[in-house]
Amino acid sequence: MAPDPTPIPGHKAVETLVAKLRRRQIVGSRQAALETVLVLRQVVSKARFSNIQQLIVIIREAGRRLVEAQPKEHTVGNTVRRVLHNIREEYHSAVKVSAPTSSRNVYTISKFVLQGQPRKQTVGAPKSETTATLKEDDPDDPDSFARGIKPILMEAIQDVLDELETVYDNVSKTAKDHIHSDEIILTIGHSRTVEAFLKSAGHTRNYTVIVAETAPSYSGHDMARALSAAGISTFLVPDSSIYAIMSRVNKIILGAHAILANGGLVAITGSLLAATAARAHSTPVVVCAGQFKLTPLWNLYHDYGALDFADPSSVLGFEEGKLVERVDVVNPYYDYVGPELVDVFITNDGDHPPSSVYRLIKETYDDDDHEL
Amino acid sequence: MPPKSSSGNEKDIAEEDEVLQAVILADSFNKRFKPLTVGKPRCLLPICNATLLDWTFESLALAGVQEIFVICRSYADQVKAAIRDSKWSKPSTGLKIVPIVTAKETFSPGDAMRDIYTHQIITSDFVLVTGDLVSNVRIDEVVRVHKERRRTNKDAIMTMVVKESGATHRTRSRGESGVYVLDPNTHECLHYEPVVGYPATSRVTMPREILAEHPEVEVRYDFIDCSIDVCSVEVPSLFQDNFDYGDIRRDFVYGVLTSDLLMKSVHCYVVKDGYAARVADTRSYDAVSKDILSRWTFPLVPDDNHPGGHQYEHLRGNKYIAKDNSVSLSRTCKIGNNTLIGSHTTISANASVHASVIGQRCTIGPGAILRDAYIFDDTHVGAGAVVEGSIVGARVTLGDGCRVPRGCLIADSVAIGANAKLRKFERVSKKREARPQAAGDGSDGDDEEDSDSELEEVEANQEDAAQIIGRDSNALVWPHPSPDDDEELDERESFYNQRLMRIGDTASDLELSDGGSTTSASETETESDFSGMHGLSRTSSATSASGPLSSAVDPSAETSAIHTLSSAAAETEFRSEVAQSLERAFAEGHSVDNAAVELKTLRMASNVPLRRVREAVVGAIVDRVPLVPGDAAAQRAEIAKIVRRWGPLVDKIGGVDPVETVEVLQYHCAAAGPRLPLFAQVLAQLYQQDLVEEEDIRAWHASPAARGEGVKPGSALLEGLKKCWAIGAKMIEQFESEEEEESEEESEEESADEKPAREAPAAKPPAKEDESESEEESDEESGSEESEDAPATAKPTAPKAAAVSSSSSQTSKPAQTESEDSETDEGSDEFVSGEEEVSAEAPAKPTTPAATVSSAPSAAPAKAAAESSDESEEDE
Repeated sequence: MAPDPTPIPGHKAVETLVAKLRRRQIVGSRQAALETVLVLRQVVSKARFSNIQQLIVIIREAGRRLVEAQPKEHTVGNTVRRVLHNIREEYHSAVKVSAPTSSRNVYTISKFVLQGQPRKQTVGAPKSETTATLKEDDPDDPDSFARGIKPILMEAIQDVLDELETVYDNVSKTAKDHIHSDEIILTIGHSRTVEAFLKSAGHTRNYTVIVAETAPSYSGHDMARALSAAGISTFLVPDSSIYAIMSRVNKIILGAHAILANGGLVAITGSLLAATAARAHSTPVVVCAGQFKLTPLWNLYHDYGALDFADPSSVLGFEEGKLVERVDVVNPYYDYVGPELVDVFITNDGDHPPSSVYRLIKETYDDDDHEL
Repeated sequence: MPPKSSSGNEKDIAEEDEVLQAVILADSFNKRFKPLTVGKPRCLLPICNATLLDWTFESLALAGVQEIFVICRSYADQVKAAIRDSKWSKPSTGLKIVPIVTAKETFSPGDAMRDIYTHQIITSDFVLVTGDLVSNVRIDEVVRVHKERRRTNKDAIMTMVVKESGATHRTRSRGESGVYVLDPNTHECLHYEPVVGYPATSRVTMPREILAEHPEVEVRYDFIDCSIDVCSVEVPSLFQDNFDYGDIRRDFVYGVLTSDLLMKSVHCYVVKDGYAARVADTRSYDAVSKDILSRWTFPLVPDDNHPGGHQYEHLRGNKYIAKDNSVSLSRTCKIGNNTLIGSHTTISANASVHASVIGQRCTIGPGAILRDAYIFDDTHVGAGAVVEGSIVGARVTLGDGCRVPRGCLIADSVAIGANAKLRKFERVSKKREARPQAAGDGSDGDDEEDSDSELEEVEANQEDAAQIIGRDSNALVWPHPSPDDDEELDERESFYNQRLMRIGDTASDLELSDGGSTTSASETETESDFSGMHGLSRTSSATSASGPLSSAVDPSAETSAIHTLSSAAAETEFRSEVAQSLERAFAEGHSVDNAAVELKTLRMASNVPLRRVREAVVGAIVDRVPLVPGDAAAQRAEIAKIVRRWGPLVDKIGGVDPVETVEVLQYHCAAAGPRLPLFAQVLAQLYQQDLVEEEDIRAWHASPAARGEGVKPGSALLEGLKKCWAIGAKMIEQFESEEEEESEEESEEESADEKPAREAPAAKPPAKEDESESEEESDEESGSEESEDAPATAKPTAPKAAAVSSSSSQTSKPAQTESEDSETDEGSDEFVSGEEEVSAEAPAKPTTPAATVSSAPSAAPAKAAAESSDESEEDE
């Protein structure tokens, strides 16, 4: 089935999500990822296909629509890639392609060097093979393949969903190894992951958090409220004093909107300020983020618009009539923080330095899905 | 799980599974965009490369509207085609769009509303917008607030969405705006006064009962009218009933608020975050374009959610370039800030583009300069041409080196010759090809004919056109409007006022500053500026005294005195009319409702206060009772018959005020000597018919008017009043003992002893105090905050308690918790201090003149009271 304009199965759900993403009715990386999984599950359950390639084309088509709708919610694309990856994997294990799939997840640098891009081969190989249990392209019963494999695929999608649902817990599992008693931690913005991480550390450790208020969204206020409600000693400071207090800070914990392939990250505005100040004081910078934020893109820092410029009203009120006419106000929502400013990423898949993010990405997604 | 996303979406938009409907008035009903709108409806003009209609649809879709009716008149088939071909008509959008073509005789939004009414398409509360709206306001939130309000107040028929801005904001229309008088607590719009920019408005009047009824009012002259109205179902029917309503603001809102017959209220929703504005004229076209480009409409910005579906890349300095790599920018061209360039456009060497919007497939010649220019699709700008502050239509060719100075409007398909120099504010459209074709167009309908005649007029004046538009031009130059030819236009469309709405016109030569600026300052600052407020209220009272202004429902004696003075003649006429009307009603046995309608009309016609009507009705009822001297039972039966039949009329004449009814009854009986004995029985009968409650009788009895204050002593009237009052006292006495049968018996001996009656009032006040004290005590126990309400309930005249009183009650709170014993004493202390501090605080809010009078003396006792409670605390 060629990628023709015939409507994607579950078309309506896709279009609804597209509209919501465009209108920013769904914001936040986890929320977007969750909605994407739900829609993809619907697409798969309604899809009609007689071999795996057709299904993949369908999913990619749906994914492309979603990503185009809102290229700035990177987790949408990531989730689509993840689902594709899991589907392929389940498919391969289902049709029991012996050799390549068994070593599929075992990746080392050395193997990488030796094999080049093993993924291409493994994906290409099973196309011709058929097994007794699952027969592709059955001319008598074109739906038999779909019937046979759908339960497995739904399970694969469920895995992605489960991972998203447990991501906070898994990220904060190791919190007490990173935060020690009597430390002073600085954070910025209101990232749920960071909040869960700090709260989890708060169960066992007695430490202090300084929250930068994160103008102009002032999401730091919510963060400070949430943390102090959990019994953690919390200070709220203006963004301008980040540098001044940096000498007292033991560690900076940042949330991320997206982690890029080069080890840099897109995070709420002010993060760059904090990370740069930390560099000047050699304070370690820790980034807490779920694996679903790993994004196989690396050139975003060239892209001015990627910082997502929101409306200027939180910087300059619309009622300042005369000023509005004469002043150009910009209100970037995100900062790009380069890999050289980050010390470690804490994910639900373990801790990684920025230099190995590319490897995580290789493991998580298939190469040929990078461009949807 | 799967359908969750869609159905969940619908649910939080329209609770109770109601479909949220919207009506778009796609016609502008004016000619401000001529000649751009020759051969094209205004809602299909592009702004930032998407049609205005698309922006409107997107704004509504954002709010979760599911069903949209598009009311179109001019070029309806174009609008219909545009809707059919757009992405909105696809089923996946979840929108149902129904174009409705109205009759050609539709000349105002009011006509369109009447059309909506006749179509019977509206089933529930709906959103009414114009077809030129750009907004990212959460209208669903406004609808929710509106519905919530409707649940408690059925008369809140409309919620207008307004946005705060400065009085001189670029997006705010200077030529057409309004002064809003709001109650800051309920956001009820108490008064609306349309304002035009020229001639400068120097004063605004508002009915003074607004100040009497509302302790706090805001007078606002800094709102952008977003033209988003959440209306209830009865709004179209109101338009139907009032055939002269044309404009929604100037006629409908103004009419509803000033009418005391409709008893409807209009509310405002002041948008805090979000953007909404309409493209009502070329000036706002410029302003809204700039707002979109500087991202005030986020997420409705070109690079994110462009309603036309185009993809743009956002570059530093708010430059937007089409994303598909089809734009060709010369290496030496200059692209300034706030610029949008559509796909397949070529910008040649050394051209410079600043703060402009360029459509798709345009070519900008070498060295051309565009500044604040809006160029629609497929237009060619020649080499070295200069376009400033102008709108250039689609498929236009501007010759090399031609100059388009600010304010020009160039219609579609015009060709302007090389080196042509247009004058400022030139309007140019294309010559029609041949006559027969035009005639064929004309048969389409009035509107086209209309524009035909206009074009003919234009064609007649083309003597000097050639020098302006150059050779090889196919253009017609429209004559400049002059201030003389607007006799037939209303003030909004007058020449000078239109100048304030024109793109590129600074209007600096217009006389706007003198009187206008001082008043507008006091209008905007009245919240903090008491003297300004005072000035306003004074002017309003002055007008109400001089002319028959509609400050009607005011029971206080002085206002009615003013009315008696001013419109004595009208009143005598009214009185005779009412008497006749009632006579007819009684004689012919009309239903109460019909009689009420007749009275209402009469009252409107002669513009008299409600009290007069009440007097007339009560008088007529009393006079209607045949006197049966000697036989008390028969008399009672007669009265009961009459009151049962006609009593309800008293409450149907436009307002319910039983206290006034009793008072009126008293005065009438006292004045008409022989009917004095009837007072008690009629009152008792009114009470039995539930037209008058026990409290009302008490309230009447306590009022100074009931005791005959202000009436010349020694007159027969006063004597009668006193008797009635005594009867009332007796009645109250009987209420207290709750023996009604006896009361009727006794009241027959009406001439009897006045002594006990006179004692009753003396005994009464303490009883009342006891009551209120016990209330205080219970309030005390339930919590100190409750005590704020106590003064309001116990003494209706006390100003509403405010924040200060709660703070004062907090000061004495520790004492309370420490000692249970002294609680009651402290409680009463606190009560006093609370109430008095409220009035001390009142001058800060400039709206309660009554409070200010009492403020100065009461401040000291308040302090003393606070001290005394402190002392008692120390005692513990």
